[in-house]
Order: sequence, then C-alpha cells, then structure tokens
Amino acid sequence: MTARRDDDLRAELEAHVAMAAAERVAWGETPEAAERAARREFGNLTHVSEVTREQHRGVSLERFVQDIRYGIRSLRRTPTFTVAAVLTLALAIGANSAVFSVVNGVLLRPLPFPDPDRLFLVSYLPKDLPWDPPPGLVDRQWLDYRQRQRAFERVTGYTRRAGTLTGAGDAARLAGARVDANFFGVLRISPAIGRGFTPDDNGEDVVVLGDRIWRERFSADPRIVGRAVHIDGVSHVVVGVMPSGFGFPGSAEFWTPLRVTLNEHNSFILSVLGRLRERGSTDEARQELEALAEAMPRDPKDHDGPMEAAILPLKSMITGKIAPALFVFTGAVAFVLLIACVNVANLLLIRAASRRREMAVRVALGAGRLRLLRQLLTESALVGVAGGVLGILVAQLGVRALLAIAPDGRIPRVDEVRVDGTVLAFTLVVSLVTGVAFGVVPALQSARQAPQEAMAHGGRTVGTAHGRLRASLVAIEVALALVLLTGAALMIKSFLRMRGVDKGYDARHVVAMTVDLPSLRYGDAPRQRAFHDRMLAELAAIPSVQDVGAVTFKPMSDVGMMGDFVVEGASPTPHGFGLDKLVVSPGYFPSMGVRLVRGREFTTADDARAEGVIIVSESVARRVWPGSDPIGKRVSMEDKPTSRDWLTVVGVAADVVQDRSMEKHSAMYFPYAQSSWTFVMSHTTYVVRSDIGTSVAPAMRAALRRADPDIPAQKLQTMDEALLDVVADPLFQTRLLGAFSFIAMLLAAIGTYGVLAYDVAERSREIALRMALGAQPGTVIAMVMRRTVTLAVAGATLGVLASLGLTHVLTKSLYDVKPTDPGTLVSVVAGIVVVALLAGLVPARRASRVRVLTALSD
Amino acid sequence: MPKERGLSRIELLQGTLDMIVLQTLRWGPRHGYGIAQMIRANSRDALQVETGSLYPALHRLEKQRLISADWTVSGNGQRVREYTLTAAGRKQLTTQRSRWEQLSSAIAAILEPPAESES
Repeated sequence: MTARRDDDLRAELEAHVAMAAAERVAWGETPEAAERAARREFGNLTHVSEVTREQHRGVSLERFVQDIRYGIRSLRRTPTFTVAAVLTLALAIGANSAVFSVVNGVLLRPLPFPDPDRLFLVSYLPKDLPWDPPPGLVDRQWLDYRQRQRAFERVTGYTRRAGTLTGAGDAARLAGARVDANFFGVLRISPAIGRGFTPDDNGEDVVVLGDRIWRERFSADPRIVGRAVHIDGVSHVVVGVMPSGFGFPGSAEFWTPLRVTLNEHNSFILSVLGRLRERGSTDEARQELEALAEAMPRDPKDHDGPMEAAILPLKSMITGKIAPALFVFTGAVAFVLLIACVNVANLLLIRAASRRREMAVRVALGAGRLRLLRQLLTESALVGVAGGVLGILVAQLGVRALLAIAPDGRIPRVDEVRVDGTVLAFTLVVSLVTGVAFGVVPALQSARQAPQEAMAHGGRTVGTAHGRLRASLVAIEVALALVLLTGAALMIKSFLRMRGVDKGYDARHVVAMTVDLPSLRYGDAPRQRAFHDRMLAELAAIPSVQDVGAVTFKPMSDVGMMGDFVVEGASPTPHGFGLDKLVVSPGYFPSMGVRLVRGREFTTADDARAEGVIIVSESVARRVWPGSDPIGKRVSMEDKPTSRDWLTVVGVAADVVQDRSMEKHSAMYFPYAQSSWTFVMSHTTYVVRSDIGTSVAPAMRAALRRADPDIPAQKLQTMDEALLDVVADPLFQTRLLGAFSFIAMLLAAIGTYGVLAYDVAERSREIALRMALGAQPGTVIAMVMRRTVTLAVAGATLGVLASLGLTHVLTKSLYDVKPTDPGTLVSVVAGIVVVALLAGLVPARRASRVRVLTALSD
Repeated sequence: MPKERGLSRIELLQGTLDMIVLQTLRWGPRHGYGIAQMIRANSRDALQVETGSLYPALHRLEKQRLISADWTVSGNGQRVREYTLTAAGRKQLTTQRSRWEQLSSAIAAILEPPAESES
C-alpha cells in the first residue's frame, strides 16, 4: 500500500521534471541541458517526496511536540489561570483517586489467594427466616454434603469465633475461626511455619496463630511450634503460624480445629467454602447441592418452609456490604470532578476571551480549525495532567484521611488499600479525559469564532455567546453541587433521626460491660450463675451505682439470638415471626431503663425451683393476644411442650431497638436463674446505672478482676457509645458525603464568583456609562445581583430536578427520611442561593465603584 | 529555503498556498507542474511556488478531500497525476476567500485608521 503510494509519488514528481525539461527543449535548449536545469529548478527530489509523504501520516510526532511546547509557553504567560486550574483539578482528581484506591483495594483487586475466582460459598437455608443469616449449611447437612459432593475439588467448613489469649502479655480478645482440616488447602495458603490441621486434630488442643500475634506476643519465635498458649483459659499447642497478610475469615488471628457434634435440639449453621473444579460451573454445583439436599434424611422437627440453594462467589460475600456505599462515594466524588471540570472550563472560556485576537490572527493566517482545536486541547490536556500529578499527592493524603475516619473493621481488606500502579493508571486516564473534557467546549468556541469580529472589536465587547455559555456552565455547576448537598443533607437528617429516635431504653448514665465466659471453667449453668451472682453483687456494692442488671445481648449489639415459640391453646406461631430471646437478671429493666408496661419484673424468687416465668415485649402481646390481657398466659420454647415446659407471662416490657436496623424488635425475656441456655449465657453484658456516668468504669473493671482475674472486659462503654458503634457506618458515609459536598459547594461558589467578576470587568464601560447617565450605585449592585439570582435559580432548578432523579440511590442508607424529603430540598436550595448571593456580592460592590472616567477613557 | 521560520509564517504560506491552489483548479483539472506554471503566470512571476511546498499542499488537500487526483496522459504523451476540485473544495475556497477579504480589510483598517477614534 505505502510502497505503491511511494512509487506513485516518485512517478508524479518525475513527470514534473520531465514536463519542465520538455518545455525547455521546446524553447530550444539541448535535452541534456534542459534535464539538468529542470532538476536544479525542481530542487531535492528526495526531500520533496519526503515532505509530501508526511502529509499522509496521522499526527506527526514533531507537530505534537511543537503543540506541547507552545502550550507550556502559553500557560506560563497566564500563571494565575494555570495555578488556579491545576489546583482545582488536583483537588478533584486527588479525591477521585483516593476513592478509587479504596474501590480498587476492596472490590477490584483479586482476593489474596491463588486462583480466587474458583472459591465459592455453599448455602442451603430457609428462604423465609425473620433474620438474615450468613450463607452456610446446617451441621447435619454439612456432614452429608462433604462426603457426597463432586462439584468442588475440596470443600471446607468453618465458623467464626472469638477467644481470649492469656499468658502472653495482657489478656487480649482476638477474632479467630474454627476450621476443618481442608481449610488452608482449599484457600491454597500454607502456614509459614509448622503445619495446618489434619483430620486427627478434632480436639480443642491445637492452634494455628496469625503473623501479628506471633510477632507481637511471641517476638517472632521461630521455635514456637510445640509451645502452649492459653485461649479462653484452655492450653493449646501451637502447630503452625500463618504468613503475614492472611486473616480469613474476617480478620481472624488464630485458628482452631472445627469439631462438629450434632445436638438433638439445636442445629448450627457452618460457613462452607469450596474450590470449584477446573471447568466446573456454579450452575452444576447448585443443581448438585439441590439434588443432595433433597435426598438427605429429614428430621420431622426440621424447618419445612421453602429452602434456597446458592453457590456464591467468596468475593461478593467479603465485599458485598461495603459495595453500595462505595458506589455512592464514587458517584459523589465523580460529581466533585465534574464541578471542577466545569470550573476550569469556565476559566478557559475567560482566558479564551482574552486570546480572541491571537486566535483570530492565527485563523486569518490560515491555521486550520483542527490545528487550533488540537493546540487548545493540548493545552487543556497539559493542565489536566499537571492536575493529575499533583492529584496523586492529594490522593496519598486522601487515602490516609479516608481510612482514618472509616470506622474500625468496617472496610474489608483495608490493608490492601493503597495508591498503586492501577491507581496511577486510573489517575492518568482521568486527568487526560478531564483535560479534554473541560477543554473541548472552550476550544470549539475559540476555533469557531469569525476573525473579523474579533479583530474589529479588539476583544473589547462582551461576546454574548461566550457569556451565555459561561452562565450555563455556572448553572450546571450549581446544580451538581446542589445534588451532592441534598445527598449529604439527607444523610445528616437520617443520622439525626437515627440518634434521636426513641429506642425503648433510657441511655442516660448507663455503662455496659460485656464479658465472655470461657467454656472450660464456666461450662454449665450453675457455674455461670454463680459468676453472674458474684458480679452483680460486686457491681451493686460500688458506691455511686443506682441499678445493676445483666442481659445476654444488650441493645445496640451486633449479635443476638432469635427464634420462635409456641402459644398455649393456639396453633403454632405464624412462620417468620421470630423474636429476640434474651436472658436477664432481676434489676435489668430499671438499670437499662426499659419501661415495664404491665405486670412485674423478675425477682430473686424466680429461680430454678419456682414456676417458669417470662416477660414479653408489647408487640408480642399485641400480636399474640390482641385485645386480651397477656398476664397469666403461657408459652413454650419447645415445639412439643410437656407440662414442665410452659412459661407464664408475668410482665410486658416496651419494645427495644436491638441492632443497627434501628427497628424496634419483638422480644421475650427469661430469668437467668431459670435458663439452661449455657451457650448464650456465657456471653453477658452487665449494665450499671450510675450518676457519675463513665467515671464508674474503673470500679467496674476492678469488680470484674475480683470476680475472675483471667477474664477481660470485651467491651466497656456507655450506651451512647454503643449507639455510636452501631451507627458508625452511616456516620462515616455522612461525614464523607458531607466533605465531598462541601468541596463541591466551595468550587461552585468560586465558579459563580469568577464568572460574575469577569462579567463586571468586561462590562465596566457599560456600567460606567450608566453611572455617567445617572444610575446610582444601588442600581448597579441590583443589576449584578439580579444576574446572580438568575444564575442561582437556574442552577437550583436544574439541581432539584437532578436530585429528585438521583437521591433514590441513598434509599437504603436513609433511616426514616424519604430521598425526596421536601424539607431537606427546600433548605438546601435556600442554602445554595444564599451562598451564590454571597459569591455575587463582591463583584457587585466592585461594579458600583467603577470609576466613570477611568473606565470610559480606557 | 531558510531553516529559521516563525510558526505563523509557515501557516501563512501553507494556508494561503492552499487557497491559491484551490483557486487555480477552479478553471479545470491540472497536474502539479501545470499548477506551478499557472500560479507563476497569474502572479506575473511574483510568486514562485517551491515544489517542496506545492506537492505537500496538493497531497494535503487531497487527503482533506478538497481535491481529487487521477492518473491520465497529457497532450504530449506524458503520464501525469491530474488534480480536480471537489464540491467540498469549491465550498472551502469560497469561505477562505471571504475570510481572506475580511483579514485584508481588517489589516487595512489597522494600517489606515479612520480619522475619528472609537472612544
């Protein structure tokens, strides 16, 4: 192709020479002389063919370099513009790169296991449970499934656990997991030291430690294998240490063998993880799971509702909860970038106005529009890239700030969040794209204008098209900022509602201390009760304490026990009516400030020998015994109760908000002295109401030490702090969105100011003329402010429309606030109009001070 | 030709040459040599187009589809590449001419300002 074109070109040029020579011959020269002269006249044929050939190349590199040089020179001539534009972009691009770093670390980067895309969670659970269990299999099904499944190379079962490490520094509460022998093999991560588990390790006596514990608690002892450590007071032999960076599931720091012992009354749900066979599909795996589950022998007591079989990517489970929030952040920060682009586009337009003469001359001299366009785009791309380079610095700081305000443990894979090559590439692309995006409109404008007009007016009059374009850009900017502000305002309102809502308990002066009793020394109900009694007595003896109580799961905790029940004389409770089952001590209701609506509290007389009693919450009473007095009615927790299993309702308490859903729950309360649920009673929160508030904490710790020096307080906090724990996510989202919308508003205000200030400067002659003709400064101010209001109202209208369309993405994050909450919209609009007016005030005042003579003689 | 050239001068030559070439082709198809001869004759020998400028201009205009090219045989038996003005080229010529006229009048206005100043 090119070779043919070269030959063609050669032939064309030779023909030129031949014709020139032929003409000379016709004029009487000898053919030889004519040929020589024609060649001389033609010049260097090779050179000519080269420069001609160049026309066929795309964009010549040389010209590109020339454009860049020219661009840099021209940017240096307007340093104020360049600095303002680069800083604006650096801020916005940096913010985007910071958020992208998080998205990249959390969502995009593969999990830190070999071949992670073949790891799936196996789940077969009832569809209609009243709560949302994590995916998994019930223990008896697991034993069956593990033997018979073929879809996965290997499967492993595990449950999360926590444990108290003692005997190596201060007692520490650690996250851990019980895992079977296949666990490390399925993940394909081997211990750095020692070994994992074998099928023979089914006792409680061996442990694999995490890297951090090994370094911090055992000073990285290379001969740690074989040493004993104490977890929950039980001696475990260390068999291995995992490599640094491994902390699955959750942020596990130690692993013990999983022991599945079937319990006649209860079944437990295990997480099941499998590594899919090569070329296996999740559909096949799911069908196999359904077929196997169908064939499993069913216990008549088993749940008989519809079941759901699912094979879920492991990654979606790890990142699932944070993904929607990240989506919102990404959107918000992209808005900030858009606003920054609009701002810089406006700066460029203003700059273009002052370069109209330069452009006009170049157009008149024959520079093609495309050439000018390319030149202008090169300039804006340069600004974009400079913004991006600075933006990387901003991103570094931004990532640090983001992680600092993120609630602990809420961002999964947090140690994988950093500014890396992917983030750098992202930043480069974003800066180039933004550079072109904000440059294209001004560039088209400049390249399109007629040279004559520009030359004739010498850049003095207002280009009305320019002015309109600038004004609409500012309106867009205001609209974008308004959308973000609306989002932030909705989040704030929702957060305040969340905090302010009646939670059914009275948090004032309440301090709660949570402990976990190790099963070795507190394995049965009598020993647990003895510890509780001791603790309650110790706490009651603290001088400033008014009320003392204990509960298995305090309000605002993330764990709990739910279940159903049987009502005497009625058909079984409707499916899906699950409620919180809480075991409490006498004194719990006054100490937590939970109102007793009817009947009585538990007393010390409600012990193991007395009649079984229960307190229900209001909504249970309403639902189960509508219109009649619940006191004296009987319920049972057993599916087929015998006469001893019936519990008599002695009181009705207010419904209480129990978890982050912020919904009031139905609940049943059981007295400690009558409960045999040792597995929930080992987790207890002692509640103290004291008029000295938090200051009572040291005395509570001392009480715990006296009761058992080896048990750490897992948590010691006021109920207000417990609430903050639970609302940490919304608080984080609110803060972040607030920060983004603040930046957005600032940029929009600067943009508004810039355009108005430029308008005033451009119109100073007109203003001076008006004043010379008798206009008062007030009239002039009014004129500028009218324009400000027009801009703000146009932007706000657009913004309100956009908000109505966009804020629904927040629906899930909002509590008791509609995404289209009119009050919020009205106040945001009012706010942004006020900000716009403030931005317009300075240029307006300047306009009113225009010196008539100076402006007119200019 | 001299190596040291300002940016605007290249473009002056380039842009203007393009216009002149288009103008020349208005009277019918012509090969490179013919175009050079015609420019020279029509400018009364004032403009001598370098081949190093002419052929790049022709190929550039061809690439922009303002002119088209075909191989034919000239009157004296020489195989030549002949250029023809396209419809787009005709349009471009009109706008370039009007722009040129605007520029000349603008420059004229600057060189000979009207008696009364604007302000």
